[in-house]
Amino acid sequence: MEVNRLSRRKFLSIATWVIGGLIGTGLGIPSLIYIIGNSLKQNQEQKWVRLGPASKVELGTPTLYKIKVKRQSGWIVNEEEVSFYILTEDGRDFIALSNICTHLGCRVRWVGDQGNFFCPCHNGVFDKQGGVVSGPPPRPLDRYDLKVEDGELYILGG
Amino acid sequence: MESRFTNWLDERFGWRQVWSAIFLRKIPKVNWLFTLGSATLFVAINQIVTGILLTIYYVPTPDHAYDSVQYITTQLPAGWFIRGLHHWGASAMVILVVLHMLRVILYGAYKFPREVTWFTGVILLIIVIAFGFTGYLLPWDQRAYWATTVGTRIAGTPPLIGDWILKIIRGGEELTAVTLARFFGVHVWVLPATLLLLVGVHLYLVIRLGISAVPTREE
Repeated sequence: MEVNRLSRRKFLSIATWVIGGLIGTGLGIPSLIYIIGNSLKQNQEQKWVRLGPASKVELGTPTLYKIKVKRQSGWIVNEEEVSFYILTEDGRDFIALSNICTHLGCRVRWVGDQGNFFCPCHNGVFDKQGGVVSGPPPRPLDRYDLKVEDGELYILGG
Repeated sequence: MESRFTNWLDERFGWRQVWSAIFLRKIPKVNWLFTLGSATLFVAINQIVTGILLTIYYVPTPDHAYDSVQYITTQLPAGWFIRGLHHWGASAMVILVVLHMLRVILYGAYKFPREVTWFTGVILLIIVIAFGFTGYLLPWDQRAYWATTVGTRIAGTPPLIGDWILKIIRGGEELTAVTLARFFGVHVWVLPATLLLLVGVHLYLVIRLGISAVPTREE
């Protein structure tokens, strides 16, 4: 029977490549995860922010609310102000409209006399529910999720 | 390795000759202490790779340095691993370089014709220490700050020129944002460039002159 002998030189050569390959992947894979890991992570979870008693919201008129939220920017935490309009017709069903015009991002303003939201930049007009009335905006105002718990109004936007 | 393509490449590059000059050269019968140089080279490569990875996230300014290091260590996946390799690799580097030097001294390997290899090695030792000194400040925590305060003060002890040296190292009277920025610049640009150049010369000489054998009683 022929013995398949592995020469010392050949063995060391193979061992060097195998160990080198192991070290290479052992360092390579964590490096790759380190570089791309956080880039592919989902956006930060939004939190429910308390706005106050639901019964205090004015009936039939969009009311401007402002909240401060903390936003993570890498290792920096910024405090940002988010504003939006809350509207309720009956004190039970609420909607929250973003005050950012869907055209180019200017802030819209509720004008009570005319019963519409106006955007000062390009004359975009939205109705009470946020639907486009006239002007360049391509879609209605964005909405935030709201909930009422124990008579307190919460918005999902933190 | 004997495919037509590799032969084609070798005709143009001559890489087989380079390969055999580096890896298949004849060496005397030696012991494990002769691997200390290669071990140093290995850790140096580790430091270069992990160091480059750290600069992807690290920011060398007083308001961001500490936080970005914390971000790397606690928020990034495998960040603790990359930073850990660089941190412990730094200590390993100093230890290995010193052991390597001791072996060369004790075996008399610095003698003719290897004096220039020794000279470059001495400068490389100083560069490694400079790497350690500048890198120590970069996390910008209490230990880094005060260690560098003390370290630069020591550099300022020589008479006449001491004060001048201290100010140049710190980039001013005090340890400030300027100090951090210049330590970073030296750590990632000046020292690596010098290190690579000298390692190139060092290795060229090791290969050209061959390594010395373990000295025997008869010599």
